[in-house]
Amino acid sequence: MRRRDLVARVGLYVVLGAGLLVVVGPFLWAVLSSVKPEAEIRRIPATWWPEVFTLDNYRELLSRLDFPQAFANSAIVAVLTTLGNLAFCSLLGYALAKLRFPGKRALFLVVLGTLMVPSMVTFVPQFVMVSNLGLVNSYGGLILPFLATPFGVFLMRQYLLSVPDELIEAARVDGAGELRIFARVVLPLCGPALATLTILTFLASWNNFLWPLVVATTEDRYTLPVALALYSVGQNRIDYGLVLAGAVAVLLPVVIVFVLLQRHFLRGIATTGLK
Amino acid sequence: MTTHRRLGTAAMLVAALVLGACGRDSGGGGDAAQPVAEGKATGEITVWAMGTEGEKLGAFAQEFMAENPDAKVNVTAVPWDAAHQKIASAIAGKQTPDVSMLGTTWMGEFAKTGALDPTPEGTVARGDFFPGAWDTTVVDGTSYGVPWYVETRLIYYRKDLAAKAGVSAPTTWDELKSFATAMRDKGGTKWGMNLQPGGTGSWQSFMPFAWSNGAGLADGDAFTLDSPQMTEALAYYQSFFTEKLSPPTDLSLQGALEQSFINGSLAAFISGPWHVSLLTDQGGAAFKEKFAVTAMPRKQSATSFVGGSDLAVFKDAKNRDGAWKFVSWLSRPEVQIKWYQTVSDLPAVQGAWSDPTLSGDPILATFGEQLKDAKSPPAIPTWEQVAAVIDGEVEKVAKSGTDPAAAAKAMQQRASGIGTGA
Amino acid sequence: MAATTATAPAKATSGTAGPRRPYRIRQRLAGWLFATPFTLLFLLFMAVPVVASLVMSVTDLRSTDLRTPFAVEFVGVDNYTRLLDDAQFRRAALNTAIFVVVGVPLTMAVGLAAASALNSALVRFRTLFRVGFYLPVVTSIVALAVVWRFLLDPEAGLVNNALRLVGVDGPNWLGDADLALPSIIVMAVWRNFGFLMVIFLAGLQAIPADLYESSTLDGAGRWAQFRHITVPLLRPTLLFGGVVTSIGYLQLFEEPLVMTRGGPLDSTLSVSYHIYNQFGFGNYGYAAAVSYVLFAVIVGLSILQFRLLGSRD
Repeated sequence: MRRRDLVARVGLYVVLGAGLLVVVGPFLWAVLSSVKPEAEIRRIPATWWPEVFTLDNYRELLSRLDFPQAFANSAIVAVLTTLGNLAFCSLLGYALAKLRFPGKRALFLVVLGTLMVPSMVTFVPQFVMVSNLGLVNSYGGLILPFLATPFGVFLMRQYLLSVPDELIEAARVDGAGELRIFARVVLPLCGPALATLTILTFLASWNNFLWPLVVATTEDRYTLPVALALYSVGQNRIDYGLVLAGAVAVLLPVVIVFVLLQRHFLRGIATTGLK
Repeated sequence: MTTHRRLGTAAMLVAALVLGACGRDSGGGGDAAQPVAEGKATGEITVWAMGTEGEKLGAFAQEFMAENPDAKVNVTAVPWDAAHQKIASAIAGKQTPDVSMLGTTWMGEFAKTGALDPTPEGTVARGDFFPGAWDTTVVDGTSYGVPWYVETRLIYYRKDLAAKAGVSAPTTWDELKSFATAMRDKGGTKWGMNLQPGGTGSWQSFMPFAWSNGAGLADGDAFTLDSPQMTEALAYYQSFFTEKLSPPTDLSLQGALEQSFINGSLAAFISGPWHVSLLTDQGGAAFKEKFAVTAMPRKQSATSFVGGSDLAVFKDAKNRDGAWKFVSWLSRPEVQIKWYQTVSDLPAVQGAWSDPTLSGDPILATFGEQLKDAKSPPAIPTWEQVAAVIDGEVEKVAKSGTDPAAAAKAMQQRASGIGTGA
Repeated sequence: MAATTATAPAKATSGTAGPRRPYRIRQRLAGWLFATPFTLLFLLFMAVPVVASLVMSVTDLRSTDLRTPFAVEFVGVDNYTRLLDDAQFRRAALNTAIFVVVGVPLTMAVGLAAASALNSALVRFRTLFRVGFYLPVVTSIVALAVVWRFLLDPEAGLVNNALRLVGVDGPNWLGDADLALPSIIVMAVWRNFGFLMVIFLAGLQAIPADLYESSTLDGAGRWAQFRHITVPLLRPTLLFGGVVTSIGYLQLFEEPLVMTRGGPLDSTLSVSYHIYNQFGFGNYGYAAAVSYVLFAVIVGLSILQFRLLGSRD
């Protein structure tokens, strides 16, 4: 029995380790290559460890683009978008899961239906709307269209369905108002779901490229991915060194947020929608 | 409550859309150009430019502002990736700048929206520009912009390997074939010549052969893709693949083109001026001695493709006159030379090429020579879609051995289905 | 998705059946109040654009009409019927179908295998593995593409170098019309299985450990346990994962965009890529019609899968 366990354990580690190598290997290569000169990155066959170590790619990024400004724009947009989603999606998600009001079912089906509409098709109408509202080149134009995402509502609703009604009923019997119940009873129970929504919304906003590119019409409103694309991808050439250094620069904050939230997050995403 | 009112608004919007959908007037084309006021430029001029051009133009415009002290040029650099989408959206949302750099093949589409201002008389002289470049601005007989910089395609080849193979630069179709064969068989390369085997943009690699053979893309509103000259050009192109002279996969898509050329597995390829710096960056400065460029080989003519970018002023421009004055300034020969020195963009103005900066460099001089015989596709709004059809049929010819005559026929049939958007 | 949620309101309200009158009015007001901020934004930035794009799909709107969008011709369902004659669309639909049919089960299998392995009591450092396996999900595709091109390079890529070690001459993965789609499938599995692993892991943790213990006493092996305990109890989770993955995979776009541009010979052209191209060509009306056909398929498949889930429960 014990020996079988040992064999199984070693086997599992070998398989998982190999898997980890396959998954993480490319990332390691990307990080290592971001400190190689362009010619070495492109060399065939590729090298793993940099023969020539250089920070030129990072230095060039920092000197050519207004990194602090782009980073700040990305952070403002991603944080506000995330906060807005947390507020609006949990409010509606709670209403759809736990309150009875006319029009609820129709509202939910419409929201859910929109979740399945390919996003490309609404791009131009959305931009025309933002333009008509006078929001082009403003933080409002970058943030508002992403504050109300069907996915967030769906996620919060599914999670809240699993919260026992008794808790809410008890608060009602105690005479608490609905807003108070929401803030004091419901939200504290939503930790995992809110963590999930945080990371997914933050990620989507942080990596978003096409929308900020089109809405921002001056460079001081460019977000990080847009500003990076400006220098790494030309009409006839791609600078791989800048692409990789840029990718590392974009990825780093995300990985930090992810590692910080992953305990909540991994629990949250898995609970949602299963009940 | 609010929900219902909003739904009502939405319904009205939809109704307006549906009821308003009652046919278009001809739109775009045939506009009359308005003159530009005399005197110096004043006010703010907003400019969009892509990539490196956008990065450097702001500082470059200082001199213009020195000449026009009351004018202020504000440049926004736009990433090439999705620049087309950005400009299309800006037109839809009426959020265009005063001036924008536009890809030469986008002119037909954007002019047809009615968003571009026709080039006023007296801002620039059409005869100053390379004719192929000027043609990219002309939509339905009216010019909607000014060529800013140009590029054309030449054959890059390994000088050292050619010497080893005992061949010199090819000048005709037959010579190109024997050149590629010798490079492979005696020069020790794996591939004698890289022709793009389909995929996005392969029409730019193929059309020079078609044009050189006397084939054309369109005559007025009708496509002329199904011609014997086109078939012959396709057959010639195909022979490089059947004789295993050209690699059947797109090296450039995998970022392997330069490395194959540098390590000697590829003897030659067709590309534009940007490859000079790409090759010296990756191969080291000494590699510059190992390669040379030569003009497209002659059949009936020795025609290449001319691309680059144009500058256009939008009808919704807040500062139209200032915008045209800025465009006119950028088209001066001396400014074009300075711009070349700043970002290595080849001047669209022929007069700039007599300057020793350009005429003294053998590689650049070859590009300048080729520009005199270089064509662009017709400036029609459906061009990108027609180009994709040509890309697709070229790919079938190169990779699956499709009969060239059948491919030419399919090109014509599919292109006619798309139409010229007139 | 539609069907789970459609059954849910009954469950949600069962606990509050027959609330007293003041509560009911108060709930109505609260319901509307809570729904208002989202709904306002939603209508403005989602619902109106969706309706506008639906209208777009029955007109001949082209990019050349963008400045005067109201002056287009109403063409009814022409755009939709045109689809049937579009050979590229048929090819794209076939590719997408193959991608979904092969890719979804494969991603689920790998995700389930990883989850089972990590759920085993034998493994430590779970956080390391979880974060590692989840890394591709959070990384932007553009950076991944640069890496993958080098992995798959026919001459010197890591994959073919590894194959050479065992004496196999590796093919040109992305350049071969027969291998490009399978390569894209593998890349998608690599990129997405971490998401499913996380979902499955939670499902596995909910299965009571004593079920395994008693079956071990009955002499059942690990494989038998997996088949007779794990899979049946995990069915709702598996189906949920299947639906979410199917919705994503039906909209396959980024992988072919950055890796193959839909080639060679349209072998990796997907429906979403076709839509993207049509928008790029300026055929807005037609592209919108293709989008709504894709939408209908997504809805249909979601309903179908959830019907299956509903009947088993």
